[in-house]
Formats: sequence, structure tokens, C-alpha cells
Amino acid sequence: MTQDPNTRAEVEPTEIGANAAETGERRLEDTHDVTADHEVPIGDLDFAAVAEHGHVAAERDPDAPAVLTVDNLKMYFPVKSSGLVRRTIGQVQAVDGISFEVPKGGSLGLVGESGCGKSTTGRLITRLYTPTGGSMMFEGQDLAKLSNREMKPLRRDVQMIFQDPYTSLNPRHTVGTIVGAPLEVHNIVPKKQVIPRVKELLEVVGLNPEHYNRYPNEFSGGQRQRIGIARALTLNPKILVADEPVSALDVSIQAQVVNLLQDIQREFDVAFLFIAHDLAIVRHFCPEIAVMYLGKIVEIGDRETIYSHPHHPYTQALLSAVPDVKQAAVGGRRERIRLEGDVPSPINPPSGCRFRTRCQFAQEICAKVEPPLLQIGKRHKVACHFAGELGAHPATPVTTEILGVDDQGSAVPGATPAARLSIPGYEKTWYDLDTKQTAGA
Amino acid sequence: MSADTAGPETLGSLSDEPQHQDPNSQQAKEIAGKSPLRIALGRLARDKIAVVCAVVVLFFIICAVFAGPISHLFGVSLETPLASERVDGLNNNMPKPEMGPPFGPFTWEHPMGVAPRTGNDNLAYWLYGCRISLLIAASATLVASVTGVVVGLLAGFLGGAVDKILSFFVDTFLTIPFLLAALTLAPILNERFALYDSYATIQKFSLVVVLALFGWMGTARLIRGEVLALREREFVQAARVMGMPTSRILFKELLPNLAAPIIISVSLMLPAFVAAEAGLAYLGIGVTDGVSWGQTILQAATPTYFREYPQYLWQPLLGIVALVLSLNLLGDAIRDALDPKTRR
Repeated sequence: MTQDPNTRAEVEPTEIGANAAETGERRLEDTHDVTADHEVPIGDLDFAAVAEHGHVAAERDPDAPAVLTVDNLKMYFPVKSSGLVRRTIGQVQAVDGISFEVPKGGSLGLVGESGCGKSTTGRLITRLYTPTGGSMMFEGQDLAKLSNREMKPLRRDVQMIFQDPYTSLNPRHTVGTIVGAPLEVHNIVPKKQVIPRVKELLEVVGLNPEHYNRYPNEFSGGQRQRIGIARALTLNPKILVADEPVSALDVSIQAQVVNLLQDIQREFDVAFLFIAHDLAIVRHFCPEIAVMYLGKIVEIGDRETIYSHPHHPYTQALLSAVPDVKQAAVGGRRERIRLEGDVPSPINPPSGCRFRTRCQFAQEICAKVEPPLLQIGKRHKVACHFAGELGAHPATPVTTEILGVDDQGSAVPGATPAARLSIPGYEKTWYDLDTKQTAGA
Repeated sequence: MSADTAGPETLGSLSDEPQHQDPNSQQAKEIAGKSPLRIALGRLARDKIAVVCAVVVLFFIICAVFAGPISHLFGVSLETPLASERVDGLNNNMPKPEMGPPFGPFTWEHPMGVAPRTGNDNLAYWLYGCRISLLIAASATLVASVTGVVVGLLAGFLGGAVDKILSFFVDTFLTIPFLLAALTLAPILNERFALYDSYATIQKFSLVVVLALFGWMGTARLIRGEVLALREREFVQAARVMGMPTSRILFKELLPNLAAPIIISVSLMLPAFVAAEAGLAYLGIGVTDGVSWGQTILQAATPTYFREYPQYLWQPLLGIVALVLSLNLLGDAIRDALDPKTRR
């Protein structure tokens, strides 16, 4: 098994390149068809059987328990003044009170534009940062409160795949050392068994196991990302935080790596927190998606709801930015929602709803009251006063009754706001937007 | 798009059989990768200047290590039985003609002649001077670079208050003028230890300390800067995610990546210390028991000797210049070889 076609064609590494082609040094008698070699023997199977072989969009197991429950997670980075005495003069509210659940063996996609706090969330879960507040429950332990020492045994279960395969591998270590390092750090297997395990892992991720004593600089970007995945898998983690695992890769390689991740998920039952900004890949990989804007989750729901019936103006704008090949083919033009202005500074976010400065539906209430992340469907939550499908946003705020405010956002005397509006997971009942009543399944 | 069937690029590579091969075969040997340092070494070997400089440095190292056997081979020694047998007291204490230059022909008994006044054999003093020079420079380099690397690693990686304190020490030591401090320290140390039996050893030891004390800051700054850049690389974060202890991150993950700046700073520190040692010996605050290139230069640099017997001055000077020059050029070549951006 090898990824390197040169190995198979028995081309000497020195012959590769224009010079070899010019001087005719490359042996060209090797005639076997590389593509045919890779082709799955389909034969006379029907379509369904073929589809079973392939990588279809991942489905959600509706009864899977949550492996990770994040509740009201906050991360504020201090902003220090210059000068001798560096006082804290402000805080970057990178992540400000987000709640979600990652189901066991499932995957949650986290999307949003640059700087919205996606990567910070991933780093909080792997405890590269210590959160300012909130909790992250994992197997009955709160990752947010553990010290580094207490965290160490749990690090076996929480691993991370990094964005840039060119900096995430130590250039001075061989692949074997890189992939085997977690085993040595956690003293899991005796030293003699490290190399067999490394070879096994390299095989799992589709690399030649004999390459374990090569250096990362001898691999391509896609192969390097596979090495990074192998390292993350070494400890058999229960949850993998994939921080934009394919965005640094060539488009043709992205599919391979995403499919590899799907195979791994199926085989090892790993839960994924999949951070990305490529909506197509998230749609393929994640049955459940959370949309973040400026440190907050604005909408969270299952794939069909988010992609077909988004209720938050930001999600709608985000989806309208994705080029659609089908529409280009039929000639129809879809209305592109353009957001005006820049993302506000997370040091001094807007009052009320954070999206209101760029939202075309924003009214007075949006500046006064922060919209709660309200469950409006079986598996759909949205944080907007005027939540509705595109073109069908209500004229009056939908959240007034729950929050106990009038249409302008001023508190109504005597009205009591609901105590707890947002839990990490989904409740059996939800607030129906059409009837303005609590509905159930 | 969600119902794509298996593309040829996704499944095919997972389906073919692994190729079994003999681990000792030629192909398997090619699979074994080259580390970046070995690639650099290969580049260094192709650099002609570097090879010549390395040979010169090696020659001096052999001279220093085997100073005893070599002088025995030539039949010379540090001991002088009687100065009047070799020097002519009536002729400004110059060597007698039968001792070789400047008044006589070359003689195998004293291949580099003898010193005026004392009648010491020059070759023996040159060889042992080389040993002292390299010994002091090498140990000062070792102490200074280890201190610098550790300080730089800690300051760069831990940051915060540790970085502030360590950087303060670096800046403080950089403000102290080296020559002034050395000139001040020497009489104090001489006074303190003058009556000890092991005065010569103490003197060398204190020389190493003085040289190292004012030589580690450059390395510390260099390493700190490199660590600041490396710290943000994702492989360090990957190491943290897998729960690697900080000491292991520092010495197993970061240190191998610092090989290039460390080798460069060592290769540039070494000639600087050789020159500094000779300079201090000339000023009378280095090794004062006479077996040192600097001391020989001090004795030779009188108008009479230089007019009548210039070879006496040239010998140690040539040693210093050749050693420092080749060490410097070698250091430059190593830096070029280790820097992937220079392609020649």
C-alpha cells in the first residue's frame, strides 16, 4: 500500500522532473493504468451497493448520548496596556458563552467567518487555553476546571488535528517518532512495541508503513495531514477536535482526507468537533452544525435545517455566499445577501444582538436585549428576535413573551422572563414560531 | 452532493496490498530518510573552503591533543636545563647560532628555534600554547553556550515574568564592558589565590569563568528569539495536546530545531574566545605561567627582539590568525549549509 505513485512505477526519485523527461531517462515501459488500478471493481452491482462502498454524507445517530457537553463556555483574552506597569485595559471576548453537545461517535460542525472564535473553542476543549468561565463536561469530569496534571490522563481521549500540515509536524523528527510520541509520553506500550503500532497507524491512514523513518519534509501536504491524523489516533481518542483539517490542502486532496476521517469515525467510533469555514465540507461531514458569529453561536441545528431552512439572517447570508453550480447551469440567479461593514471588534462587541450592526432586520429591541438561543424545532436553535426563513422574517419580535419585554425591548412590568433559556442539548419541547406556543414532538 | 459514490482516488489506495520487501534491500535503504542535519552536512562537504578550514582546525586540534607525543617526537620539551647553553648573554640574550634562527641555519633539534633570554624551545611552547588556547576557548564556549541555550529556552518558552527577569540579566551583562571587568577581576583573583598550590589551575578556571560570564548573552538572545518563533508553531501545540511535559517539549521538540543557531553561535564563539584569551594573556591577566600564545607574543613584542628575531613573534601570531580565520570561515560555511534559503 503506498500513496506515492512513483514507488509503484519504479521511478528513481532523482529522475523525477523536467530534466528526466527531457533526457529520456525515465523508463516509460511501465504501462499499467494507475487510474484503473485505483478503481473499485464495481462489476454488475446495482447503484445502492456501489453507494454503500462510497462515502456518503455522515448521518446522525439520534439516540447517541453526548460525549462532550459544553455549557456557557467563555474565553476572554486580556488586553494589556503598554508601558512599565501593564494593566489590563480590556478583554477580547473571543468565545462568549457558547453551549453545545457533541454526540458519541457523531460530529458537530462549527462554522463561521475568520475571527469568530471557532479555533479558540477547539483549543479550549483540548485545553491549550484555560477557559475564563463555563464548563466542558467529558465523562463526568469538567475539563474546564482540571489542572494540567489532572488533565494529562484525559488527554488520551481528547486529541486534535491541526490546520497546517506544514507546521504541525516537527521537521527534525521522523514520522515514527512523531506518531509514536504519544505512546511514549503516556507510557502505554513498552518501547519495543512502539514501531509496530506506528506502522499499523500509518497503514490505517493510508501511508506506506515502511516510511516510518522518513522525515516530514519528504511528504506532500496531504500525506503530512495523514501523519497528523495518525498522531491524533495513536491514543485511541474518544473525541477529536479537527481544526480546519483540510483548509490548507489542495482541493483534490481535501476529499481524500475528509473521506479518511469518515472511515476513521466509522471504524473507531470517534466523535468529531469539526471546525471549518468550507460549508460544503461541513455539510458532507457533519450531521449537525453550529454557526458562530463574534464569539457566540447564532444558530445550531441538523444539516437539513441549517442548509435548507436557516432562520438566522447571518446563516442566510453565509449560505448565500456559497457559489452554486446547479443554479449557474440553469442560468437562474439567486439573490446574494451582502453584509455591510466589517465584523465589530470582539473587545467592544455591540450591545444586545451582536449581529445587529450588519443585520438588515435589526430594530430597537436588538440593541437592547440579547436574543436567547431559542429552540424552535426538534433539533434547531436560533438566536434572533426576528427568526424566520429567508423572505419570511416576522415583522414583530418573536421572543418578547419569553423575555418579558415589549416590541421595543423595554421590560414589561409584571412579566417574568423564563429562567433558563438555553441548555447545551435539545429539549423535547420547543417554542413554535408560527403559533408562538410551546410545541412538542 | 452528499450522495457521492466512491471516487477512484479515495478507495483505490486503500485496497491494494502492501508491498513486502527485504529491510536490507537497496530500496529499503533509500526509504530511510535523511534528516535535515545530514542534508546540511552533505552540503558542507561540497563546500571547498569549509573542507580546507575543517582540515586546518583539525590540524590545530591534533596539535593540542597530542602536544606531549608530538614534542617528544621532535625531541623537544618545555624544560630548559640551562638558559646560558642556548642564548648568548653578550648578544642581547639572542639564541646562539647553533640553536637555529635567526643567526644559524635550521636545526632539527629545535625546529622552530629557541626563545631569547630564557632559551625555551619554541615548538614545545607553541604546541602547549595551542593546547591551552583551545582548551580555554572550548570550555568557555561550552559553558557560555549551555548557559545561553538554557536561559534562551526558558525565557522564550515560559515568557511572562521569567522572560522579563532573564532578559534583564542579559541586558545587564551586555552593559558591562568586558575588558574593564576582566582587568578588574584579574588582580582580585590573583591576590586571592596567589599563595595556593593549584594557582595555575585556578587561573585557567577563572579565565574560563570570565570569558563565559561575558559570552553567553548573545546565544541567549538568539535562542530566545528562535524559541519565540517556534513556540507558536503547531507542532508545539500538538505536543501540548498529547500531554507532553514542558521539559520534554523544550529538550526533545524545540532543541533539535535549534541545532542550526546553536552550531552557528558555537562556531563563531570559539574563534572569538581564542582571540580574547590571547589578548588577555598579552595584557597579563590570562595564563601567566608562560605556556600561552598570548604570553609568547607579550615577550616577543619588544623592539630589539622584533628587529633581530621577528620569527619569534610570527610563530604564535600565525597560529592565532590561522586558527581564528579557519574557525570563522568554517562557522560561516556551517551557517550557509544549515540555512535552507541559501542555495549554491
